[in-house]
This record gives sequence, structure tokens and C-alpha cells, in this order.
Amino acid sequence: MSLLDILTKDDIAVPLLSRDKNGAIKELIKLLKNSGKIADEESVYDAIMTREDKGSTGLEKGIAVPHAKTAAVNKIAAAIGISPDGIEFGSIDGNPSKLIFLIIAPPAQSGAHIALLSEIARLTRYQTLCDELVEAKSAENVLAILHGEE
Amino acid sequence: MSDIIRHILVYIDGTEHAVTAAHYAVCLAKTLHADLSALFVVNTQALGTLVKSRIFLEDEEMEYRNELNADAERYLHHVKTIGQAKSMDIRLISESGSVSGEIKKCVKENNIDLLIIGELSRIQSRHDQFYDETERAMRSVPCSVLIVKDEDRVWEMYDRLL
Repeated sequence: MSLLDILTKDDIAVPLLSRDKNGAIKELIKLLKNSGKIADEESVYDAIMTREDKGSTGLEKGIAVPHAKTAAVNKIAAAIGISPDGIEFGSIDGNPSKLIFLIIAPPAQSGAHIALLSEIARLTRYQTLCDELVEAKSAENVLAILHGEE
Repeated sequence: MSDIIRHILVYIDGTEHAVTAAHYAVCLAKTLHADLSALFVVNTQALGTLVKSRIFLEDEEMEYRNELNADAERYLHHVKTIGQAKSMDIRLISESGSVSGEIKKCVKENNIDLLIIGELSRIQSRHDQFYDETERAMRSVPCSVLIVKDEDRVWEMYDRLL
């Protein structure tokens, strides 16, 4: 399974309207609710925040990967939020997060969940790709960059 | 036993494509009177990468590792029943590490002369094409490789197998 197998333009916020971590996570969960990929926003939010409470998923270089498993979803879902100004995410290097990948998976799909997170870990090693994503002007633009078309 | 193919290995990765490949492997092994082994690799290399990149916490890694081990057991058991239904004994092998590395090692250690894998996932982006672990194994194993496609035909073939 690849990120592009499950991601549609409806799951991408360019730019994120929220200015803080909780708001950004809620905004991305809302996208998944609106696209019919999740039913219970609150359970998904609780699962993500329970994981965040154990340790922030704010990584280096402006990347954050909030993720969790919950029985509130039947299929793996992903959303991306772009915040050119950055959001304080409690990241390792102290820098604000500009690129937020949210992943939510059902408990019985660990293999696919790991494959997806590994793909994000690989993608975020490409600094040029990350820079292009932060500068994206639309959800369609983000998809094209991930496809390698731009 | 065929002189051309004596020992077949089917790689199981927890996908529907791999289960289809297992059905095909049973058909081929039975027809050729070849030995059949099934391998599942718990991708601990990926788990390690996620911890290193700080996406996973240590206890999260352990939790997922346990779940992947349970997946390995469940899928290999399923493959065993696919063989048993056609009176075919399948040797089950569970390993952990890098997927491509463990497949290659298994092929060498067990004198495998045909590796069977399920249909490869679609390449969606130019970044994907360098990182498909099964494709990497396909390119690096020293034996011939067969990629199983056309699920409906495979099921039909398996159903007809005596």
C-alpha cells in the first residue's frame, strides 16, 4: 500500500487554517470525516492525542507525523496539512512543523500501517520534495508533487 | 519430481496478492511434484527505521513487532491450510529483518530454484520505484522468479486441482 493509493485531494489542506497543534489535528480529522473515511471524529482525535501525549510526533526539519490505531476506522486513512508559517508541534529540533502527515489505522492492519509510515519516513528524507510540498498552492499541486509530476 | 523445479518458495506478505500466489504455488508444486516452502518476513528493518526517525517510540515498536509476529503466524497457518486442502505439505518459514535480504538468504539456504511472489504493487510515484522491497528481492535472488497475476484464473485452477 502506498500513500497515493489512499490519498485524494479532499484529504489535503493547503494551507492549514489552524495555528496550533490541536487545531491542525482537528482540521485534518475533519477532512477525513468530510470525505467519508471516518465516522467518529472524537474517537480518532482521542487516539491521536493519546499517542501524542506519550511523545510528540513532531520530527526534524518541519515534519510532523501524528498517527494512531483505533477501532473507530475500518480502513487506513491519511491526510496532509501544509502550513507555510509552521505550527508549534513540540518537535525534536524545536522548529515549527510545516508539513503534517496524519495517519489513522484500524488495529488489525499493522503491516499496512508500518508500510505507510515507512513511506513517509523515506519521502521526508528528500529535502527538495519537502520544500516543494511546503510551497504547494493547492491540493492538486500536492498530489502532483507526490506523483513526481512536478 | 521435475528436474527443472525441485523446491519452490512462495513469499507471503499479508496481502491478498500473496494469498493468490500461495494458491498458484500449491498448483504448480503439486503438478511438478516439487517441494514447497512458504516464507513470511517480519519487517523489523522498517520498524527500526521508524524508531530511528522518531516516528515510533520504543514501546510502540514492540507493540507493532508483536502484532507483525502474530500476522506471520496467522498468514502462514492460512497457507498451510491452502496446501492441506490439496494434500500438499508446505514447510513454513518465519524470519525477521529486511524483506529482500531474508528472501535472498532463504533462497540460498534452501536451494530454492523458483521464487513465487504475488502481483507487485502499482508504482504510484517516482519515489516508490526505488523502494519496493519485494521487487528488490526479485532482482537480487539467484533463482528464477514467477509473479502471479489473474486472481480469478488462479482460483479456478486451484479449485480444479485434485
